[in-house]
Amino acid sequence: MGVEDESREFERFARPHAAAALRLARTLVRNEADAQDVLQDSFLRAFRHFRGFSGDSPRAWLLSIVRNVSFTLWRKRERDEPGEAEPTLEAEPDPAPSAEARLLEACDAGEVHAALDRLPGLHREVLVLREMEECSYREIADILGVPIGTVMSRLSRARAQLVKELVGDPRSKN
Amino acid sequence: MNPFDEHPRGALHAYLDGELSLEGSLEVEAHLASCSSCRQQLETFRALRRLLQSAKSAAPEADLALMRVTRNVRARRRRVFAVGGVGALAAAALVALVLVRGSAGVVQEVATAHARALDSGRSVELASDDPATLERWLSARLPESVPPTAGGDGFALRGARVDSLDGRRVATVVYQVRNHLVDVFAWPSAEKDMEPRPTVAGRWTVCRWSHRGVAYWMVSDAGTEDLKALATLIKDRRT
Repeated sequence: MGVEDESREFERFARPHAAAALRLARTLVRNEADAQDVLQDSFLRAFRHFRGFSGDSPRAWLLSIVRNVSFTLWRKRERDEPGEAEPTLEAEPDPAPSAEARLLEACDAGEVHAALDRLPGLHREVLVLREMEECSYREIADILGVPIGTVMSRLSRARAQLVKELVGDPRSKN
Repeated sequence: MNPFDEHPRGALHAYLDGELSLEGSLEVEAHLASCSSCRQQLETFRALRRLLQSAKSAAPEADLALMRVTRNVRARRRRVFAVGGVGALAAAALVALVLVRGSAGVVQEVATAHARALDSGRSVELASDDPATLERWLSARLPESVPPTAGGDGFALRGARVDSLDGRRVATVVYQVRNHLVDVFAWPSAEKDMEPRPTVAGRWTVCRWSHRGVAYWMVSDAGTEDLKALATLIKDRRT
């Protein structure tokens, strides 16, 4: 097959997941220029290897590449300018009573993105993959390279923490 | 009996995410029926989901990035097929060629034109090994064009394009020797005849000469002997 056909085929393969790839890149690197670089680099890597792809989910495969490229960049940045520590995961807070739901209804997109930015990267990505890209646990497990059980526990902590970021910790309120 | 001794934490999320078996879902629902705390939790996480989905940004740039990559891949493959990876050297040429003595400005422009053509994957705008075809094409685009010289002596005529050089639009004729591309820029000039003297600048070779009212510049990653041979071929055929 010629490179012409091959690259067209790759476009058909990757296009349905391109927006998800960019959103994940944005989630992981937090800077639009870096996100664009990550995306481009990821597409290039994916193109080199997509002939050998034989899994179930092209999306999971593509997103796992985006994640690897992002982390490579992140590690490089860390070497160049150490500062931001490896994100730590908080213990799951006790369930708080609702009314939270109503407070959440009142939040806007800007607040959501600001709150996501305050979460550790591992929490951000699992939320974006599940809630925005609607990946299954299996897909997320493949993308993150962790067991499904870890996906579930990380997701539950991430949700609880995001709620806390958005509506505050009810226990600390008067 | 309630299957959950305590609240179904992880299972509540799996339930919300549709990841439970029918049996598992029924167990969670049984718990929910008798636990207002978990019902509220579920309500909160559903609200969170709606919020996150509403905050999902469009990413139209992603398609553009994909197109950019596949276009570049196509361009690079064509180039590799034609010349075996000359493109990687293009950037080095810009630095190296500035060091060539004399006409530094033009030298740089020559190198830039060469690098741009390689990087864009369009080393030729019209591919042909027929000088008459190329001449017709060039004369339709330039006020005064120099007739291309046919290939020979190991130099294959590949085609032509039009570049902007030294403030004018010039004909660029592209030859290939073994796996090297050679750009030959030519334009009518009043300067007196000058012998071709190829110079190596870094990994690139440039060569300038003038012959009977035509100024020539040449750039390639081929060696000086190759460029000298091509210059001689072009000169000899203009009789």
